[in-house]
This record gives sequence, C-alpha cells and structure tokens, in this order.
Amino acid sequence: MIVKDVICPFCACLCDDLDVHVEDGRVTGVDNACDLGSHKFMTDHRLEGPIRRTASGWQEIPLEEAIRETAELLEAAERPLLYGWSGTCGEAQSAGVHLAERVGGVIDATTSVCHGPSILAIQEVGHPGCTLGQVKNRADVVVYWGCNPQHAHPRHLSRYTTYADGFFVHNAFKERKVIVADIRGTDSTNLADEFIRLQPGGDYAVLGALRAMVRGKGSVVPPEVAGVSREQLQRIADLCKKAKYGAFFFGMGLTQTAGKYKNIRNAIELVDELSRHTKWTLTPMRGHFNVYGFNEVCTWMTGYPYAVDFARGLAFYNPGETTAVDILARRECDMCLVVASDPAAHFPAEAVEHLASIPVVQLDPFPNLTTAFARIQIPVAVSGIDAEGTAYRMDGVPLRMRKVLDRGCPDDASILREITRIINDGGGP
Amino acid sequence: MRVILTARPRKNPFIPVEAETIVPARFLPPMEGMTVAVGNRTRPLTDIFEVAVEGNATDAAGVEVVLRGDNSRLKRIGEYMEAGKILVEGDIGMHCGNFMKGGEIEIRGNADGWLGREMRGGRILCHGSASHYCGSGYRGEKHGMRGGVLEVKGGSGDFTAEYLAGGEVIIHGDCGDMPGVEMKGGTLTIHGSCTRPCGNMTGGTCTVLGKVTGMLPTFLRAGTVTWEPGGVILTRFEGDVANRGKGTLLAREWQYTP
Amino acid sequence: MTELLVKNAYVIDPLNGIRGEVMDIAVRDGWIVESVKDGAEVIDASGLLTLPGGIDSHTHICGTKVNFGRYMMPEDMRAGRTARRGVMHSTSGYSVPTTYGNSYRYCAMGYTSVLEGAMAPLEARHTHEEFAATPLQDTMANTLFDGNWPVMEAVRDRDVKRAAAIVAWTLSAAKGFAIKLTNPGGSEAWGWGRNVQCIRETVPHFGVTPAEIIETLIRANELLRLPHSVHLHCNNLGVPGNYTCTIGSMELAPDLNPDRQSLYLTHVQFHAYGGTSWKDICSKAEPVAHAVNRRPQITIDMGQMMFGKTTTMTADGPMEFNLYRLHHNKWSNHDVELETASGIIPVYYSRTSVVNCVMWAIGLELALLVADPWQCLLATDNPNGGPFIRYPEIIALLMSRRYREEELATLAPGTLSRITLPALDRELDWHDIAVMTRAGQARALGIRSIGKGHLGIGAEADIAVYPLRVDETDPSRQYQDVIRAFRKTAWTVKQGRPVARDGEILVPGVNKTIWAQSRVPAEFDMGKDAEFAKNFDRYYTVRMSNYPVQDLYLQRSLCMESEAQL
Repeated sequence: MIVKDVICPFCACLCDDLDVHVEDGRVTGVDNACDLGSHKFMTDHRLEGPIRRTASGWQEIPLEEAIRETAELLEAAERPLLYGWSGTCGEAQSAGVHLAERVGGVIDATTSVCHGPSILAIQEVGHPGCTLGQVKNRADVVVYWGCNPQHAHPRHLSRYTTYADGFFVHNAFKERKVIVADIRGTDSTNLADEFIRLQPGGDYAVLGALRAMVRGKGSVVPPEVAGVSREQLQRIADLCKKAKYGAFFFGMGLTQTAGKYKNIRNAIELVDELSRHTKWTLTPMRGHFNVYGFNEVCTWMTGYPYAVDFARGLAFYNPGETTAVDILARRECDMCLVVASDPAAHFPAEAVEHLASIPVVQLDPFPNLTTAFARIQIPVAVSGIDAEGTAYRMDGVPLRMRKVLDRGCPDDASILREITRIINDGGGP
Repeated sequence: MRVILTARPRKNPFIPVEAETIVPARFLPPMEGMTVAVGNRTRPLTDIFEVAVEGNATDAAGVEVVLRGDNSRLKRIGEYMEAGKILVEGDIGMHCGNFMKGGEIEIRGNADGWLGREMRGGRILCHGSASHYCGSGYRGEKHGMRGGVLEVKGGSGDFTAEYLAGGEVIIHGDCGDMPGVEMKGGTLTIHGSCTRPCGNMTGGTCTVLGKVTGMLPTFLRAGTVTWEPGGVILTRFEGDVANRGKGTLLAREWQYTP
Repeated sequence: MTELLVKNAYVIDPLNGIRGEVMDIAVRDGWIVESVKDGAEVIDASGLLTLPGGIDSHTHICGTKVNFGRYMMPEDMRAGRTARRGVMHSTSGYSVPTTYGNSYRYCAMGYTSVLEGAMAPLEARHTHEEFAATPLQDTMANTLFDGNWPVMEAVRDRDVKRAAAIVAWTLSAAKGFAIKLTNPGGSEAWGWGRNVQCIRETVPHFGVTPAEIIETLIRANELLRLPHSVHLHCNNLGVPGNYTCTIGSMELAPDLNPDRQSLYLTHVQFHAYGGTSWKDICSKAEPVAHAVNRRPQITIDMGQMMFGKTTTMTADGPMEFNLYRLHHNKWSNHDVELETASGIIPVYYSRTSVVNCVMWAIGLELALLVADPWQCLLATDNPNGGPFIRYPEIIALLMSRRYREEELATLAPGTLSRITLPALDRELDWHDIAVMTRAGQARALGIRSIGKGHLGIGAEADIAVYPLRVDETDPSRQYQDVIRAFRKTAWTVKQGRPVARDGEILVPGVNKTIWAQSRVPAEFDMGKDAEFAKNFDRYYTVRMSNYPVQDLYLQRSLCMESEAQL
C-alpha cells in the first residue's frame, strides 16, 4: 500500500509530498523524502513498552503504573520542569501546557537552545515574514545566513528557493541570485553567487554595516568589517536594494553566535530597511518539524512562546531564568518530564549533570541519551507515522500529520491527559 | 525601625524563593500574613526567615530591612519599592529592586540577573558584581530603566542597561558584551572595559573609561572630549548610523577587532 | 433534559419587537420554549435588563496574525495576567489576550457569539485550533479572498460563476463562514511591496481592479446564497481623503437580498477621513453616513477608536507597513501565498494628537448620523481601534451627550473645527444599543435563522442579564452606571447553561463553529477541476489533498447549507 501526500515529521520544511510504502504494518520505502526524512520513517528500534529503572536494571512495567507514578512525581515536585515538545503534535503540546499549569511547573521547548533568540528579536522589532510560497513564486534574491540548508534542510532549495520555479519565476536556477554568509565554506556556500565569509562573532557588525549602507551612510564603515571588505559589503547592499523580491533565511550561525538575539534583530532591521526600497521578507530556518507548533500553541494558551513558569499560578516568561538549561544548570528543578526531545544529547554538561540527581520521566518511542538519566520511560507513537496531529511549518502554515500505520501505541496527548486527570481527581496543591 | 531577616537553612536550597513582599512598607505594623513562594508552594515568611524587629516606624521611610544568611536564591525583593532601605549582607538573587521608585537598596555581596530592572527612582548600590541584564528593561518594552541611580562597585554581565531611557548606571569594573544596547536616554558610565557597547543607540550618553573591543563599525567619530576628573581624553562617537545616529558614546581606548 | 427558567427579566428583544417588557424566559435543552416544569433551575433576573447574548460581528481573536500579535508583545501579555482559579485557566494579555482570556472577558460582558475578522484559508487550521480554545463563544470565521489568485483570474475573465465556485470550494475547505475582502487587490500588490490607491487602479499582473473584485464577489455571494454578505475592509484605510473611496465602494453594491445588506463595510471610522494629509485631516462621517442612509443594502460597523494603548492587526499589509514608517514601532508582516497578506504594529492613541482625536470623534459621529441602528453596528475592530473590553464606554458615549461633552473638553486643541460631534444631540436608547450589539449583528450575519440574536420561542438560549434597572437609570446622566453594568453581567447563559455569574466563569465550556457550505452543481466542483488542481499543486507549497480542514478540528460543527444558483 502506498500512502500519498504524507507529511514528513523530520524538519520544519514539512514537505507534504511524500509517498510512503507500507507492508504488514511497517514502512518499506519512502519516495520524495530526503535522507533525513526517509531515515525517520525507516528506523525501527523502538522501545516495546514502559520501563522503570531499578537497582538491578530496567524493569518492564504496565502503562497505568508508569502513568500513575509520573503523576505522583509531578504533583510532589516543588519546581517541576516539562521540557521538549518539538517532536510531537499540537494536541500533545496543548495537553502539556495544561499539565504544567496544573502542577505549577515550568514548561519549555527545544526553542530555548535553538531559535529562542529569533523569538526574542521578534519581540523587540517584529517579524517581517511570509509563507514559503511567496518566496517560491516571486523571489529573485535569496539569502542564507549562518545556516547550511544542504545539510539541515535538504529539500528547502528545491521546494522553496534556488531550484523552485514559481508563478513569476519561470527558471529559478537562472533567475535567482543566492547569497550565503558563513564563517567557512560549506556545501551551501558552494552554490552561492556571493559568499560572504566573515569571522566568527562578526555577524552583528556585518549586518549593522549593511544596514548603514542601505541607509546611505556607508562612508562611516571602515574598510573591513569582521574580515569582509567594504567593497563586497557595498556590492551586497546594492544587490539587495535592487532585488524585486528578496528572501532572507537564517539559522544557528546567527542565533548561537555571541549576541544571539541581537544578531537576529540586526537582520530583521536590515530587512525592514530594505523594505523601504523594495520587497523583502525574513524566515527563520526552524529545525524540528513541529517546534514552531509549540511556540504557537504555548502562545495562544499562555501568551508566551516558550519558557513559561506557572509556579505562581499565572504565566511568567523570562528566558535566561525560566529556560530549561538555566533551570537545570542552577539545579532549581526537582523533577523533569521530557517529551519528544533528547536534552541529555544536546544540553551543556552542567545541566545534564543535574538530570542525574532528580527523577526524570521520558515520553519517547526510542531509547536515547536521555534514557540513561530516566527513572521511567514510556514509549509513545511516533507523530506523523503512527499518530496524527497538527504541526506548524517554519513559516506558520499548519498541516495535519498523517497516521500511516498502527503499532497499538498510545500517543503523547492521551498519556498527558491521563496524567492530568489523575492529578485533578486526586486533588493536589 | 530595623527588621532583620535571617535566612534559615533549607533542605533544598536550590529551589528559588520569590519574595516580592520584602519591601520596607510591608513591614509597618501590623506585620502579618506575609508569605513567600518556594517553587510552587506558598509558605509563611517565618518558615524561610527568622524575623527580628527593632524599634518602630510610622512610615516606610523609617524602615530598614536587613537580610542575612544565604539569600543568593531569593528573588524579587524590593519590587516596586517607594521608600525605606533594604540592606543585603551577602549575595542576592534575581530581580532585586525591579520597578523601584524610591528608597535605597544596598547589597554587600553580588547580585544575580536583572538587578534594578525597569527602575524609576531611588538608589541601588551593589558592592560586589552584578550579573546579566543589570539595569535593563523588560522584553518588548521600548523603555527600560527610567530613573534612579544604580551603582555597581564590581563588574556586570552582558546587556547591562539594555534599553536605558533615563537615570544613571555606574559600573566600576568591567562589563560583559553589549552594554547600553538600544539605549535612548540616561547615562551609563563604565570605569572598566567592555565589548560592543551601544548598538542601535538613539540617545543618552555612554562613557567607557577602560577599553572597548569589538567597536561597532557604524558609529560616526566626532572629535574628542576631556573627562574630568583626571583630564582623560575620550573619543566621541555620535550614535549608531545603522539606526538614527543619535546619542553619545565616549571611549578612552577602542578597537574594531574583538 | 435540562430546564431553566429566567424569571422577571426586563427584556428588550428587537428582532421580536419587544422594547422593554418584564417576562419569564423558559429554556429546555438549550432552546427557548413556551414553558418549563416546576423542577427547572431558576435564575431570578429581578427586573434587570435582559438581552439576547452579545454578538461581535468583527473581532480579531483567533488565528495566525492574532497569535503573531501575542507573541511579539510580551509586554502586552504581562499587562493583563490573571491566575488559574476554579475552572478558569490562567490568562494573559491586555489588547491581544490569550484565547482563554478573550473567552472569559467576552463571557463576563455577556457575549456568546463572535465572528473572527480575518482568516487566510491556507492557515484556517490555526484559526480553528484557537476557536477550540475560546470555549465560551460560538465562532465564525471571515475567510479572506482579497488577493486570491484563482478568484482574481475569474474576475479578469468576467466569470462570476467560476468565482463563486472557487469561493464555495474554499469556504468548505477552510470551514469558513463568509467572504472577507481586505484592501482588495492591495494584498497582491503588496506581494511586490506595492499597494493600490483606489478602487479603479489595476492590480499588477492580474489586470483586475478592486471595484471588479468587489462587484464580482457581491454577485457570487448571492449566487451561493451565503448567510452573510460580502464583508469589506475598503481600500485606503487610514489615508486622509479616503472617504471618497469608501463612498465609491458603497456605490458598487446593488440591492440583491431582501433579508439583509448586500455589502457590509467594516470599521468605517478608519475610512471616513477628509483632508489631504495628517495636517488637514478632518471628519467626513457626514457624507459617509448619508451614503449609508440612502442605501438599505449597506450595513456598516463603527470601528470606534478609544484612547490608550492597543495593537493594530489587519490583513491590510501595506497599511501596516505605512504605520511602521510613521511610528517606527516594532512591525510584523505575514504575506500568505496566492491569498492575502497581514501586518501587525502596536499603537498608542493619544488625546494630545489632533489626528487621534478626530478619529475618536468620527466613530461616534457615524453611529449618531446613521439613522437606523440596524445599519450601524458597534465594534472597535478589536483590537485595532481598542480592546473589546472598552465597548461599555462606547455604549455610554452613544447614550449620553453629557459624557461626550466631558470627553470633548479633554481633546487636543484644533480638533473641534474638524469634527461635527459637538453639534450632535442625539442620544441612543436601550433598544438602539440592543440592536447595535446583538440583534443587528444576527440580521447582518444571517444567523437569526439558526436561533441567534433574539429571545423568542425557538431561539438558542444565549441570554445576558445586565445588573441595571432601566426604569431606575437615566443613561443620559448616569453613564458611569451604564459602563459598570455592561462590563459585567449578573448572569451570562449560553445554550441554556449559566456560564458566568458576576464575572466569575462557571464552566469550562464547549463551543460550536458555524460555517457555510454552498452546494454547487458537479461541473462547478473545484475539487474535480483539472485546471484548478494543476495550478494549486504548482503554485502553492502544500498539496491540495493536505489543504482542507478536517472535520475533527471543529469541536462542534454547525454547517449552514445552501443551494448555489449557478
């Protein structure tokens, strides 16, 4: 059986043209996906059932027991942290926010170690954005700054930018100019018509210089900024000003470089400045397939996109204080529920060390590095493969993930709702 | 009147305590029903502190609150304070003196993040060092600190005085990255060194008496100024031309490279 | 079976001609009936003013751009926070509250049905997810067609039936309620950073004018027999001198429907400016109101501006960018491929600004100069003119000349010569207000037929009991009491269940979403149209099979069906 138009649950390109071959309840092949997507569909080393850590090793436990113990741990905690969320659907994210509110905990998503700075910048200067079809149909200049889409978003160029023909752009490969900015050569810089090679940490200065040039104040800029010549900068500024439609994409090279959200802010203000001359838009290259979904859900429910602290019964937001890495590194939390992510694999050592000293429960279909720190792990259905639900693409377009097979596995949302029900029925703080 | 709060040892000293009730006015008699939040639990103030009261006062200005013991995880003291004094004999946690309008806070040790955030008036003196976002604003608001004097004898972290709109911030030691970023008013004086100050500056005055590294390439050089006392010559920059190019940055020593 | 009796209610029910009578209202299983048995739950309204549940015919509370507004404004979020309490979730937000925030606050004001002002069909799923989290109001969504490529092509080809067929398919796919046009043609121009200056200017590449888009869709709307009319946000919003464009747009509307308007113009305050620049801007509410008075086929809403902080958010992308250029405040933009655009920017409306003072006066002038309250409904284009929690103040201003005079005295010097408000003596009465806040909306939206907006037998039991005694209140003098009463009901009843008591929310709530499906003949089914499908998959970045909103997104669904006359 071939299931058509399946939406890929890997990255936030959310390619929705996959054909998935299913035989005997297993995926046997995937057409149209990139390697990353195919791999996700074909991987199958799942945990068979809930497990609990004991002194003598892992013990299999019934689902109700795992759920009940998780509920008890959450209720007893004075500062529980509910972290992850990017790899699951909106229905589970929504249940997670309700649960965090109910137990007076902190809820945070992988955003806080990824595009959190993009959101902080948007909170300062706004987001001049669009859906990806605007880029495909109109853009004649595309900028990739501090990201390597060839590796991280392999079909981005063919679906939305460099190779994607559109209504007004009939021969994209010929008609589009691509500018790539990075600190070193990559497979993406190899495609560039203009490669801006800058020194690490120099993004803020370079973007500022470009802004000044677009404002006609280029004479203030010194001959070289962070390793980039003023000549090249002026050439880039002119190219951008003359574009009919420019699209700016960016990734971790900007968000995780010194200054973080200030780098993004500068990029946004550059796009704003260019918008006074011609049409420009900006889109963050979100990573996980539904990380933006968490930001959307959390925002309409709490007012804030991530890092929400419910300890005082209302929503308090302060990245740097209410973000998972900070809470763990400062040893503030006394219990952690991890859903659809792998903090032990990604967080700084200081934060991961604290995970070892508190009870951790993980909802995840696969054993991963966080399993080594978990007291209980409950396998759940994989969103987009054996669980349906809503996901938000990097540009905000919401799609419904399909279920292509059934493994008899509960989904995250139902488990989280059951945990909440147990806490509500049993009373609490 | 002096109220001495001595922090009791806690089983889990890492769970933060939010104590926005610790404001001088709140201790005027009758002082009852005061609670603090320990994580998601509400506890009476007396569970967390031994409380000793000396003397009397008729208004907040006559109240001095003294904090002893380990208060490094104690957040939000002095919030919205209008009068009186708080003396912290050691370190203090995040959000000390936020929205302060008047009175005085003195910290003998170090202060954690967001010291004096959105201050409107009064004085904060930190003998040790302050962490990130010292004297800064709140996310999304156009104006941060608007008034008052915030002085740190040690150094401070990143984003000191972000969105400064009024008042005075004085850092005797070194600042971290991007002090005075987005500033539009007030004065920021850094006796030590810093990196990349005053990005997007549109007003106010920032003076760096140490060294600036990573000087932003979009500042217009406009002569020199003599800094009294001492007669030090400072280079004067007019605002950030990537933005509207207003405000003044004065630096004793500077270089574009990091 | 659940029964409820609301006793001693002082009822004003314009759709049934009731102008103030004390009566009992009997409810069974959510519907108003003749009588109920003795065991029924009883609410004693004690002679208090009782109206049908409030209906907001144009409010921005759910969807992509609303959520953008929330997440880019943490400072707005912190300004309106409430803690979790009882069945109520925590809420945040002042001018752009969270979904629960919106729902609880509307509920406390007695509102039981709302029409979301703008939904892009590509992002409809998002709107419906937020609808599900706005549980105390029934919801409807205005569906944006102003920059829709296949529609503009049908308009260019003068093919009104094809345009209608595309609308029918899209409304079904998006589970939308009505045709919304925001700055028609302008959103496509904005795709290139441009705009259209008037209704006769041609949209780049597509070769159609806004006038043609409006005219074609008005006719398509009636061919599809949709409950509501075309809902229009005119071109040139906010531009001094734009009143001529507004009147020109009204002139495009024939009178095609005996039950309701053929064209609904929204937030007309923003479209009634005279002058040539900010320096000489003045009110043109008079000619605009006269144009409405002469045309029974037009209904408008005020779009009242209230002083203070708020957030502007509309599908009028170029207008929002111009506001950004004026105020240099943070600005967000979101263009939706093949469909529409949007922009968001926070603003502060100030009494020291002559321009803002003129804007404030215009909204009130419109309501006082339009003779028939059924033709001028109360709204602020929430939150663009101001948050909906300010509606009670607007009611008081319309009912009290004295209140208006006190406010006029606080306005910036130079305002009075540009406005007509000081000369207007008219004071609206309770019946007028009941029309402008619920009965008029039910008629304009075409939802009286499903039981909304009235309290007669067969109506849905959405009831608002306001803590005010009409015979003891002179609204002309006691405007503070008017404000207080309309801020918080004594009781809000939704579908026969008490949901709020003195502002406290009593139940978590479950709402229904009302949408429109017009059945078209097989040859007009875009789902089977080869050209439509080919272009869809070629130019959109989602597959046509993944586009329609699945049924399960609507907690409860009420589909208003019609038979298209194609």
